[in-house]
Amino acid sequence: MSKGPDEERGGWWRRLLRPSPRWSLLTLLVVGFIAGVLFWGGFHTVIEATNTEQFCISCHEMRDNVYAEYAQNTIHYTNRTGVRAVCSDCHVPKEWGPKMLRKMAATKELYGKITGSIETREKFLARRLELAQREWRRMKANDSLECRNCHTLASMDVSKQKPRARRSHEMAVRDGETCIDCHKGTSHQLPENMPEEE
Amino acid sequence: MRMARLLFPVTMLVCGPASVPALAAAPDWSKVPVRSITVFYPGVSPLEWATKGTEHGGARAMRKGETCAGCHDEEAADMGQKMASGQKLEPVPIPGKAGSIPVAVQAAHDGTNLYLRFVWKEPPGGAAKMDKDNAVKLAFMLDDNRVAGASLSGCWQACHVDIRSMPGVTDDRKTKYVTDGNLANGVFYDLVQWSSKGMKADGYVAERRVMEGGKGLVDAAGTKKGDEWTVVFTRRLAGGGTGDVQLAAGKTYNFGFAIHDDYTAGRFHHVSLGYTLGLDATADITAAKQ
Repeated sequence: MSKGPDEERGGWWRRLLRPSPRWSLLTLLVVGFIAGVLFWGGFHTVIEATNTEQFCISCHEMRDNVYAEYAQNTIHYTNRTGVRAVCSDCHVPKEWGPKMLRKMAATKELYGKITGSIETREKFLARRLELAQREWRRMKANDSLECRNCHTLASMDVSKQKPRARRSHEMAVRDGETCIDCHKGTSHQLPENMPEEE
Repeated sequence: MRMARLLFPVTMLVCGPASVPALAAAPDWSKVPVRSITVFYPGVSPLEWATKGTEHGGARAMRKGETCAGCHDEEAADMGQKMASGQKLEPVPIPGKAGSIPVAVQAAHDGTNLYLRFVWKEPPGGAAKMDKDNAVKLAFMLDDNRVAGASLSGCWQACHVDIRSMPGVTDDRKTKYVTDGNLANGVFYDLVQWSSKGMKADGYVAERRVMEGGKGLVDAAGTKKGDEWTVVFTRRLAGGGTGDVQLAAGKTYNFGFAIHDDYTAGRFHHVSLGYTLGLDATADITAAKQ
């Protein structure tokens, strides 16, 4: 079968770069805009779908371990105001750039899923400290970005807090600390072999 | 009256200086400021727990120099309730145990003696008796700023996971102690205890707890009117015995106290956080000269 004249003159790449002899610029813009909106919307729909609690606990590794602990009457699961923070609220940044970076990094978890790195309770417990420390380091590095989506030291009225919280937050401001420095284990159990320096 | 004038010098000659303190006049308590301190049921919260960050979030604040009272003074009653009920840090809760007891504390001195007065309402009891001889005991401890950490945690420096009545400890002779405690080097708590049976002990806590040796305690007297206990200690400022802190005007000391109510013993007491006692000096509790 002989090649067409277009392909003979440079292949598909050249055809893509050549102005259309059939479609007007307006048509191309409108179609391109609609296609772009559909693509962008679809992309974000998928991204947001991966941010839902249901997605996170669709893996038994999350559902049976960290989620089960979180759903055991922790402050971020149930509280007097009825505001719930789901997995992604604490573990995925809301800002687009950091969120995309986090999502890309999370693809490594797919490898873990495939290889079954924490497929049993025993395997999970054996790696719990390492996994927790990795997350604490990430949150420390981004100045507890996810925490600050809802809580900031600047917007706290410490006079309305209990004395122990007031003292701790005043010290945190003084010492330039970030939320995760103190608030480890607020929604999950701490690793049993957690070093004291943490 | 004439007889009394004659008897006084005779008594002095017969009994000697040791009887002088008995003549010490207690201050007019109605003129002494009251500091309300809530003692609370501590459950199993020894020093090893309090200083372990993975168990007690406040350990981090302690390492930065924060006092226990700085964070917990206002919530002592809530903490006590959690532990007395077994919700936290108490594997064997005593049914009906009060979580806390508010105590009115007063202190004064006259240049010779320190006077400490404790007044509280007896909470409901009725549990099995651990110390059948004593319905109530009250003890206080003083540290002359020599016990490391006592300025933050009061008596907690003497409360350890391996002492009697702690879970899993079978040695009922091992009582409280100070890590690195050393009587000869002055690293100790002065310990004074009164009991409803009439015990008046003046000892100390260093390498171990000793319930004798002190010469500072002049008197310890407790009375009960209705359900209200009043215990008054008269303690010679100079001390002078083994394990006695020498008290001086212008200085402050680390101070804490505990009440064993309802015939309890060992760790099943109500304790105060760590406070400061000052003689003519600004402190949590100031003993001003009367």
